[in-house]
Amino acid sequence: MRKTILSAILALGAFTAPALSETIRVGMSGGYFPFTFTRADELQGFEVDLMRAIAEETGDEVEFVTMSFSGLIGALDSGRIDTVANQITITPDREAKFVFTQPYVYDGAQVVVKAGNEDEITGPESLKGRSVAVNLGSNFEELLRNLPYADEIDIRTYESNIEQDTALGRVDAFVMDRVSSAQVIKESPLPLALAGQPFDEIRNALPFRDDEAGNALRDRVDAAITTLKENGTLAEISEKWLDADVTKPLAEAD
Amino acid sequence: MRPLDIAYMWDLVPVIAGYVPLTLFMALVSMVAALVLAALLAIVRVLKIPVLDRVVAVFISFFRGTPLLVQLFLFYYGLPQMLTFLTTIDGVTAAIFGLTMHFSAYMAESIRGAILGVDRSQWEAAQSIGMTQSQLLRRIVLPQAARTAAPTLMNYFIDMIKGTSLAFTLGVTEMMGAAQKEAAGSFLYLEAFLVVALFYWAIVETLSVGQRRMERHLGKAVAR
Repeated sequence: MRKTILSAILALGAFTAPALSETIRVGMSGGYFPFTFTRADELQGFEVDLMRAIAEETGDEVEFVTMSFSGLIGALDSGRIDTVANQITITPDREAKFVFTQPYVYDGAQVVVKAGNEDEITGPESLKGRSVAVNLGSNFEELLRNLPYADEIDIRTYESNIEQDTALGRVDAFVMDRVSSAQVIKESPLPLALAGQPFDEIRNALPFRDDEAGNALRDRVDAAITTLKENGTLAEISEKWLDADVTKPLAEAD
Repeated sequence: MRPLDIAYMWDLVPVIAGYVPLTLFMALVSMVAALVLAALLAIVRVLKIPVLDRVVAVFISFFRGTPLLVQLFLFYYGLPQMLTFLTTIDGVTAAIFGLTMHFSAYMAESIRGAILGVDRSQWEAAQSIGMTQSQLLRRIVLPQAARTAAPTLMNYFIDMIKGTSLAFTLGVTEMMGAAQKEAAGSFLYLEAFLVVALFYWAIVETLSVGQRRMERHLGKAVAR
């Protein structure tokens, strides 16, 4: 009896798992300017345009699912979404669990401080003895913890609003990618400044579940990204939102 | 000190207002379901029905003893790793389910307290005229208990409305989620969170008017 119930549950699970989904469900926070954010109830940004362009190439529909950042990977893992478009950085840990497309953004980690403090804090070395905010579950947390002097840094993880807490002086700095940092400083009313040069190359790509359907979808999306790189669409999207083309490896861009 | 951006707040009003129905929907459905479930749980506990009584005690202990956010994550992201079919449940349903379970545990205890608060003589009087246990509960005890429990239950309903703000972690954009996303685009945190706070406050105040009416109605029988 128990076996029957179990196999019924399993069969149901297999049946409902999306096979070749014609609607790509894309998870994002909707709260990461200028990659994914909302104005007047309209979701927009770099990642939104990218996913629409990809879907146009593959002939799929795209459905955006917004949720707080910390829920995104769980939602991908449990099959509620098919990928995450939220500047997800390729890390060994994530690669062990998910399959990635080729990178579509090349960027660096950047220390940002309250305006006026950039002479005091000039890069990752000057974070010793200071409090630093990072987004919970982001790769910047891992990056800081891997610094040789990590135990001297007071790393604080946030669900959101690290920019605000740095501007308010609750923490000495935050670490995020260089491109969004620069955009935040330019576009927001917050008194913030870049502290020193970017200190690590990061590559963003789209993660998919490592199963048959996930791999198939990854291949389809990856091919679309190749096309978008070749025909210049990706560079255009980058220029539109970031005033710079960040879609090529840093060495190549120089 | 910068001045409040009133124009921006004004622009946010229709945006947030658009999410009020979803918040109310989640809270209302959860409230009705939780009330029914809580009444059943309370009755099981009061009548000390064998076995069931123990199960209910564990249920109440678990759902009162763990945070709502933990329960939502457990159900929405955790369990599907074992029971794949759970992924077909959407965020709204999961949020309603979580709110129902969580608040029914609390409500069951306040209903139980209210039932036990009904004077023993009322039970005995009803039994002496030959009422069955279900008649006794339905006609004598529960109406009196409802009056006692109403203010606390209303408090839980208010908590529930505010609890819907956790649904954003399950991918449901409700009032708070909408405000968070707008704030992320504009960096006007104060304005965005102020608007959403005023919305919650207005909803709860409106309900409080209803609560006062309901209490007057329930108290009619004992009014002097």
